[in-house]
Amino acid sequence: MAEQRVTVNPGVVDWSGENPGIYLRETDDGPWVTLGVFFRVVMSPYGSGHAMLVLDEPDTGKGWPDVRNFIVNDNDELTRYLIRDYVSGFPSFRQKPGLEAMSYIPLDSVACAGDPQAEYTETVTARDLSARMTWSDTMEPMAVEVTPETSATGRHDMYSLFFEAKQAKIEVNGDRLSGNVSTRQFFGKTMSTAFLAFSETWVQPA
Amino acid sequence: MPLSTPVNSGKIWWSGDNPGILLKENEEGPWSALALFFRIVFTPAGRGNALFLYENPNAEESLPNVHNVVLHDNEKMAHWLADNFIGALPGPFSESPAFKELQYIPLTECYTSGDTSSRYKQTVKAEGIEVDLIWDQLGTPTALELSPEHVGTRSHNLFNLLIESRDASIVVNGRKLPGHVVPRRQADIETTTGFVYFSEIWIAPQ
Repeated sequence: MAEQRVTVNPGVVDWSGENPGIYLRETDDGPWVTLGVFFRVVMSPYGSGHAMLVLDEPDTGKGWPDVRNFIVNDNDELTRYLIRDYVSGFPSFRQKPGLEAMSYIPLDSVACAGDPQAEYTETVTARDLSARMTWSDTMEPMAVEVTPETSATGRHDMYSLFFEAKQAKIEVNGDRLSGNVSTRQFFGKTMSTAFLAFSETWVQPA
Repeated sequence: MPLSTPVNSGKIWWSGDNPGILLKENEEGPWSALALFFRIVFTPAGRGNALFLYENPNAEESLPNVHNVVLHDNEKMAHWLADNFIGALPGPFSESPAFKELQYIPLTECYTSGDTSSRYKQTVKAEGIEVDLIWDQLGTPTALELSPEHVGTRSHNLFNLLIESRDASIVVNGRKLPGHVVPRRQADIETTTGFVYFSEIWIAPQ
């Protein structure tokens, strides 16, 4: 018998917005060499805001400017909530010394450009720092709906619109960071490690 | 609650934020003013912002007499929304005389302010026009999963986040348009005609 939808999710909505990412490896079976994730939050217990997290050396416990491990943001309280309750639980970021040591840097500007169906960028600036994430060669968009068993945190329901990208890069002050787009098992299938995630809503199940 | 299959097999129709305000001077009377804003991340016609403003829904005319207009930064997308979405939905936006005479005008600025826990505001500007959509008395954010029988098109699944407003207003060039929000029933939910819809994903089931 087909599953029936429940119109109103009885859980508590944590936040909603956008959460694209780029996770890079040198080889398909190697460790992550560069991790990047972006947030554009429209609703949360801490208001709205933007944040771009870049770990150029995920396994090094140092922050900017010694190492390009930073999170540029315009809402510090929101950003620390997202790191504490979400990113630190994402499988690719768990126990990463770079996440603990990264620098929190106030954002001066943020802008998206392009089109998700071709090439799409998010760019942030902050003092002496300019960082850009670029996704290209994207696939058809798809809707995902996950329960705690399959969500990245293991604790939430989540709805999102995903574009997988076959190509992606992260640049900091014009330098392209190392690594290549790879694949991972996610949502029960083999998926690219570069993705645009729009219209995302995270819910604490009732 | 999400179904147990994480990847929805349907085809994405469009996705983005879609807050609106529908006003009447009395519950039995005609609509006195309508506004529907789109912050689109995906349509087949690209992404962008568009405000459908009916200063007088009952007038089959536009500027210079009345602000029955679409302020946009992507005219192709705005027309796609009018032709494929608004025009396909029964209700005041497609059935009002103003719909036939909407004038499409490039926007010059578009930004949000406030907070979804108290007062949320969307501002859109074009040459000689400044529009504020203001949602007050906001309710609890609620994640919805609507089946085709619960949506206006009767042919899509829809994921979205609803924050209802019990006091909303439309302000054009500093003048508050007449009317107030009225009760509305959607998908067996008692709500109002002032709504902040975020993270909508419209899906054509396969």
